[in-house]
Amino acid sequence: MAANTQPDYDKPGDEGEERIKIICLGDSAVGKSKLVERFLMDGYKPQQLSTFALTLFTHTTEIEGKKVTVDFWDTAGQERFNSMHPSYYHQAQACILVFDCTRKITYKNLPEWLKDLRTYRPEIPCLCAANKIDEDMSMTQKTFAFAKKHSMPFYFVSAADGTNVVKLFRDSIRAALAYKHNSTDFMDEIMKELENFELDPKYNSKLNQDGTQRNGKDSPDDDEDADKEKKDEKTDAADTGQS
Amino acid sequence: MADTLQLLKCGVRFEPPTLVLSYKDWKSGKLRRRSMPLRNFNKNTGIDRIIEDLNSNPRHARFIRLLSTAQLQRLLTIVKDKLSGLSLEASIARNNAMDTINPDENLNRVDPETLQRKKLIMDTSFEQKRKKPGDPDFQYNVEVDFETAVVETSGWDSEESDVDF
Repeated sequence: MAANTQPDYDKPGDEGEERIKIICLGDSAVGKSKLVERFLMDGYKPQQLSTFALTLFTHTTEIEGKKVTVDFWDTAGQERFNSMHPSYYHQAQACILVFDCTRKITYKNLPEWLKDLRTYRPEIPCLCAANKIDEDMSMTQKTFAFAKKHSMPFYFVSAADGTNVVKLFRDSIRAALAYKHNSTDFMDEIMKELENFELDPKYNSKLNQDGTQRNGKDSPDDDEDADKEKKDEKTDAADTGQS
Repeated sequence: MADTLQLLKCGVRFEPPTLVLSYKDWKSGKLRRRSMPLRNFNKNTGIDRIIEDLNSNPRHARFIRLLSTAQLQRLLTIVKDKLSGLSLEASIARNNAMDTINPDENLNRVDPETLQRKKLIMDTSFEQKRKKPGDPDFQYNVEVDFETAVVETSGWDSEESDVDF
């Protein structure tokens, strides 16, 4: 794919697989990129589409036995202009709307983002995430009316410790697929799928398998680092003993 | 390299521009001071470039590593402010504002320098809490259901005249 053209998400990819586009929205510094990076894990190099001032993360997965290529679109700072270029919304099949639960203003700005989204994509499923719960766990004891009012699934997440990140992204992929497949009432469908997601042990075990594979693939470099750190600690401890 | 250095204090000198660190070397048990001259630093120099230079300097890198990027940015910005003619008091006030996260401040509207600094402060906290592959308690998929635990409203929805909410 040329660096400055958008793929056509209505057409299948090179190998006949489904292609979907999921966009991230929300204020500066709420952790949108960190959430995508946490889902895809380290070592993933996103593609910069400079013409559109955005970052594209491509992810290949299997949903119910079918290969799906997912492009997660991230704003690359474009949110500073308070609204996104229309191409950002073009053909998007789901949206992840993020706020920072330690900064009230980012919650207060959600209606603006939703308004912008609905101008271009009146009907795509939108999932709402309260990020940075690790900073203040007491926020998870609280209610936020916005998501419920707009019938969005709501997630307490942490890009730092990983809480509910995989769930959020997996649900967004399923929601995007449900929308793409022309469900007449896609919100009901998503809510139903979310229930199945909770209850179906077969699906959950598949998810864990994916997770394990992913760890296996990504860990060698990090293990090395971790070993080195451990060694450093030991040396430090020994030196402290001497002094 | 096993690092036996512990940072105690950091600061700057203006004449000539110098970064100064106090540290303890646990290997020898001694308190030491390290001065690192900031050569060719003027009011037009990009701070990112200075940081790059310091990090790639084989004599300094070991000491620069003791500082967080947020600290380093702050110290170098104070030097740069001074070179631009700002008073120390004004510079510290400006830097304190950039290093403080205000939950009501709209970061979509701040200048790129302020946004970068606030992100660095948040990143420092993020890195402290981060669980990485290889950490003993790392798990790729962490699911927690908070729904049943809800006991109170956030208060972020009240005082609301906003029709969109």
